[in-house]
Amino acid sequence: MDGMIKLTFNGQEIEVKKGTLLIEAAKVAGAELPHFCYHPKLKYDANCRMCIVEIAKIPKLQTACSTVAAEGMVVRSDIPRVQEAQNGVMAFILGNHPLDCPECDQGGECQLQDFAHRHSPTVGNFGEEKRVFEKEYFGPLIEKEMNRCVSCLRCVRYCDEVIDSNALGSIDRGSITEIGGFSHHPLDCEFCGGCIQICPVGALTSRASMYDYRTWQVKKTNTICTYCGDGCQLSLETIDDNVIRVSSELGIGRNEGDLCARGFFGYDFVNHKERLIRPQVLQKGRRMEVTWEWALNKAAVELKAIKEKYGPEAIGGIISSHCTNEEIYLFQKLMREVIGTPHVDSGARYGYINAARALSSVFGTTRLARYEDIVNADLILSFAGDMAETNPICAIKIKEAVRKKGARLIAIDSYNSGRDTYKSHLPHIAHRHLEVKMGTEGWVILGLLKVLDQKTSCGPLPSFETIERESGIGEAALREVAGLYAGAQRGVLILGRAITRNQNGYQNVLNLADLAIAAGQVGKDGAGILALAEENNELGAVEMGGVSEYLPGLIPAKAGGKTLVEMIDAAERGEIKALYIIGENPVRSLPQKKVKEAFQNLHLLICQELFLTETAELSDIVFSAVSFAEKDGRYTNQEGEIQKVRKAIEPVGGSKPDWMIFSLLADKLGSPFHYKNTDEIWKEVVLNMPPSWPALSKGAIASSVTSYMKRERKIIIPSDDSPPLQGGVRGGHLFDFQVGQSLYHSGKLSTYASGLNTIISKEAVFIHPDDAEPLGLVEGEIVNISLPVGAIQAPVAFSKRISRGTLFFPEHFSLEIKKGLPLTIDPSTHVPYGDRGVVTLSKISVAVSTKNLTIS
Amino acid sequence: MPTYEKILLKNMERPGYTGSLTDYGHAGGYSALEKVLKAMSPQDVIETIKKSGLRGRGGAGFPTGVKWSFIPKDHPGPKYLCCNADESEPGTFKDRQLIENDPHAILEGIAIACFAIGAQTAYIYIRGEFFSGAKILNEAIAEAYRAGFLGKNILASGFSLDIYLHRGAGAYICGEETALLESIEGKRGKPRSKPPFPATHGLYQRPTVVNNVETMMNVPHIINRGSEWFAAIGAGKSTGTRIFSVSGPVKRPGNYEVPLGITFREMIYEHAGGMRSDKQLKAIIPGGASAAFFTPDQLDVKMDFESVAAAGSMLGSGGVTVMDEDTCMVWAAMNLLEFFHHESCGKCTPCREGSAWLLQILQRIEAGEGRLDDLHALESLSHKIEGMTVCAFGDAEVAPILSTIKHFRAEYEAHIEERRCPFRSNVVLAMAH
Repeated sequence: MDGMIKLTFNGQEIEVKKGTLLIEAAKVAGAELPHFCYHPKLKYDANCRMCIVEIAKIPKLQTACSTVAAEGMVVRSDIPRVQEAQNGVMAFILGNHPLDCPECDQGGECQLQDFAHRHSPTVGNFGEEKRVFEKEYFGPLIEKEMNRCVSCLRCVRYCDEVIDSNALGSIDRGSITEIGGFSHHPLDCEFCGGCIQICPVGALTSRASMYDYRTWQVKKTNTICTYCGDGCQLSLETIDDNVIRVSSELGIGRNEGDLCARGFFGYDFVNHKERLIRPQVLQKGRRMEVTWEWALNKAAVELKAIKEKYGPEAIGGIISSHCTNEEIYLFQKLMREVIGTPHVDSGARYGYINAARALSSVFGTTRLARYEDIVNADLILSFAGDMAETNPICAIKIKEAVRKKGARLIAIDSYNSGRDTYKSHLPHIAHRHLEVKMGTEGWVILGLLKVLDQKTSCGPLPSFETIERESGIGEAALREVAGLYAGAQRGVLILGRAITRNQNGYQNVLNLADLAIAAGQVGKDGAGILALAEENNELGAVEMGGVSEYLPGLIPAKAGGKTLVEMIDAAERGEIKALYIIGENPVRSLPQKKVKEAFQNLHLLICQELFLTETAELSDIVFSAVSFAEKDGRYTNQEGEIQKVRKAIEPVGGSKPDWMIFSLLADKLGSPFHYKNTDEIWKEVVLNMPPSWPALSKGAIASSVTSYMKRERKIIIPSDDSPPLQGGVRGGHLFDFQVGQSLYHSGKLSTYASGLNTIISKEAVFIHPDDAEPLGLVEGEIVNISLPVGAIQAPVAFSKRISRGTLFFPEHFSLEIKKGLPLTIDPSTHVPYGDRGVVTLSKISVAVSTKNLTIS
Repeated sequence: MPTYEKILLKNMERPGYTGSLTDYGHAGGYSALEKVLKAMSPQDVIETIKKSGLRGRGGAGFPTGVKWSFIPKDHPGPKYLCCNADESEPGTFKDRQLIENDPHAILEGIAIACFAIGAQTAYIYIRGEFFSGAKILNEAIAEAYRAGFLGKNILASGFSLDIYLHRGAGAYICGEETALLESIEGKRGKPRSKPPFPATHGLYQRPTVVNNVETMMNVPHIINRGSEWFAAIGAGKSTGTRIFSVSGPVKRPGNYEVPLGITFREMIYEHAGGMRSDKQLKAIIPGGASAAFFTPDQLDVKMDFESVAAAGSMLGSGGVTVMDEDTCMVWAAMNLLEFFHHESCGKCTPCREGSAWLLQILQRIEAGEGRLDDLHALESLSHKIEGMTVCAFGDAEVAPILSTIKHFRAEYEAHIEERRCPFRSNVVLAMAH
């Protein structure tokens, strides 16, 4: 076969792909060579010397991990010479090892245990005093035990090569080499947990589950992470219905075994003590726990009453895009068919709908690029400077493309290209970074389009001068970037929340689609467009009909269905009398909307939740739902990959999966569903999908593009939506302000995860140190932020990633700040935009602090 | 005492010679570079060096011209030459003398080598402790730039070369060529796994030649006087002269430039003046701390690459360390192991763990706490290190142990049986302890 070579391994003739390392070739011959430093994700380092083999005609033994198999090679690992050498290395490794397996969390899954079992005599011959490293505290999440370390440097290499975080190094030299930070400080990194997972021994383990288990006691369930749209496979490791630990298997899933802080350390919200374990009802102003029967009857009776009195359109439903496909499908079926209302919406409305609608209207599908395309692209055009925070695993694919495979990355965003120590940042590794004024990505897109689409089939475009004035990006840079993108062999375009969750989002995605068409980067192998999803099932929510404009299968719904914001407005006006909200929390997400006041007009508010959220607190009925760990189903990630979610533990307390609650409610409403499990729902879903779903053929995409190009299109020129600051504050300094996502959290859910809370558990406003310095700010100092409406106080934190003249505020804690930011609604998709604005920052006056000092 | 023509030390032994560009010029300096640039092709230069039989003076003795010829000719992008001036092998101090006294001779050699391999950038990696050497080299580099022997379009030939001096930070391992490259790249000084070799994947993964200071310095002479002249000096495949650093209790320790192939007896008893206080010679380290010990019955071994190798050691870096009858061989081995243990970079298991383990055993024996099975342990551990490490360091650290056990087993046994070091009573050595 082409590209294959033949060699002899332990007397057996084998055939492997050209370029295969001997350590992998050995597996073909059924031999596992002992190893510590080798890992398929990393460049070989050949430092542990365990995988030594004899190669005919080479006098010295060679390391199999660093030797590429060659035609005709004769290799042996089963001869005494090799085995003695391996046993010798093992003797060196075990010499100083503490042999504390009984209390080591790695016990049972330790490569040293496994290989020592094969390669060491039963009696040790090390008769000297053992080396003992001083115990060093490595922070609240990672336990470091250097006496167990085999110095394979897998952790150091992973942290550099895969994560680009460089938080770990090897410190000191020779026999006292240890792993650590350069000045012996607790870790301050991305906390992806990769070092723990890649450590072959018990040198690095998780403090979050320290001494909680023996590896053979845990039950492992492969499922999909619930935090973002990347769609990572992970294993929930459980004992007696408690999630003890998360792990992932090398090469498995779309993430190929890589995880981020949220995935690795964010699991213990599942067994959180504040979980709702029984339904609750609000009876005469008092919240009380009731039986399911009671709660369901009450819900059914009141829904029926409202439907009879005001008609079905007085009822609306909103579902979280954290729910499974089956649940979202069933929910819209319940709302549309059983109750008969068109008002169905989901969390996809917060921005992903912009991408889903725009891309499917142009291409007929959103499935336009996969992670493999990113990894193999020669050029990546990214409108997601914060991807390492919002979609960390997708960012790993970009790092792999750029750092391992030499792809060019062009990043266009309002971030600084500087990076913070020990944290990766995509603009930092970009070959070309266009740092735009916040909110002006849309202008840059028009500029790029203007370069490539000479015929301006989209109508007149603004002049380069206007574009430069608005965005700060001149014609030369636009021409260069557009030229690189159009000239690429395999150009992949990535758009993130800066596009989808901000002003003019729908139009901007359409313009990006035009740009990709003009650059010739769709419809050919390896090129494409990927819209990042912030929640795990946003694409699923759209495809399952969980939005007002689509029935399942992206089939247009009858007009008249209200979107999320419209439902809130209708509630305020008294048109909608009842809302059924699954896992969404609009009271918190849309503080500008006075949601609380609107909901007080409702006759009935039903909420289905894990925790008593701000919205649940207002609800007449709260159904206690389950987390992803307690249910089966399917999520569709941002690439369009449909993946199985598997139940790892029984529902906590008396909670129930959402699909089951919908079924029970349908029963009570007199239209039983009869589904025994989620697979039965899925069968029905598949039957309801168009024949071309899920993947669309290249030909179908091309004809969709052709018909799109024939349609009359009009480019909407972006406008500056932030209203001018009223008055301003004397002594303050103007900043562009952005509320956004932190790597360590996802919405509110992650703030129930104790592991993540040890990293960040409080709000802070991030500022570039060079902006802070002239203001005389010190890190942690409380500053005053005057918003267009009102003001807040918050501590400042410094980050070199923040663009000069801008401030960043993570969205996961107090959201009081959003109340003061302007809210605009997308004219096409009704997406509410309320994350940006212009603010003034000022030091809290010296007089105040002096006064405080005097008091203290 | 036989006398020989000095080649490398000749200039500096002239009265009043300062090593300045003027002095070097008066001594015929840079004429070889001029000849190469005006009249020779890179291929001519490589052939000349090949024919001369010049072999690397850093330790391994690899034929220099052959090494140069491994550099791919059609490689797009930069190629590099790194001059290894990280002289750290205990008992070796020749490069230091060359650097401090005749820096331009090194620069000229580097320039010719760069022309031959097509490099436009060269680095001199100098041992961190060579403060004055670094200062002198930097001054010489500046002088050479001013005089047009470095920089753009040298002597109007179209050939350009920049030389940068890179100072090490004190790690012995950075003298190992791949660790040296890592160090120049700003990384931790750790050897790379080979293959690939520097000739194709060297500095910044570009084709690179790494040559020792003394090797470089021979080059202008070979160009000026021809490969036949050079090949006629020395013995067999070991051509030219070699500077040996003789240390220990001899009457005249120092650097001696002699043709390759004279005997150790001649070196120690003629050139170095014999043993101090006419004590008995007990052991010789023939080629730097990484070489296996010789005993007095090996005094007639010839000082060339092949003969020393045939006798079970190596010519190495040219550091000849002499020990007399008062030296405890266990102590000597322990002393060397303390050095190797301290300098092991820690990258690979056998060296990292083995150096500490071996040292622990040697320290016990020397302290009178040896056990009967310790000799067996020392030998078997050494064999587990030999040939198993990323670089040659592993072989180096076991050489003193295996050779002292081989030649002086009784001394080890005496330590163990008497539960003390038999040399402890000796006042001089007690101080050394």
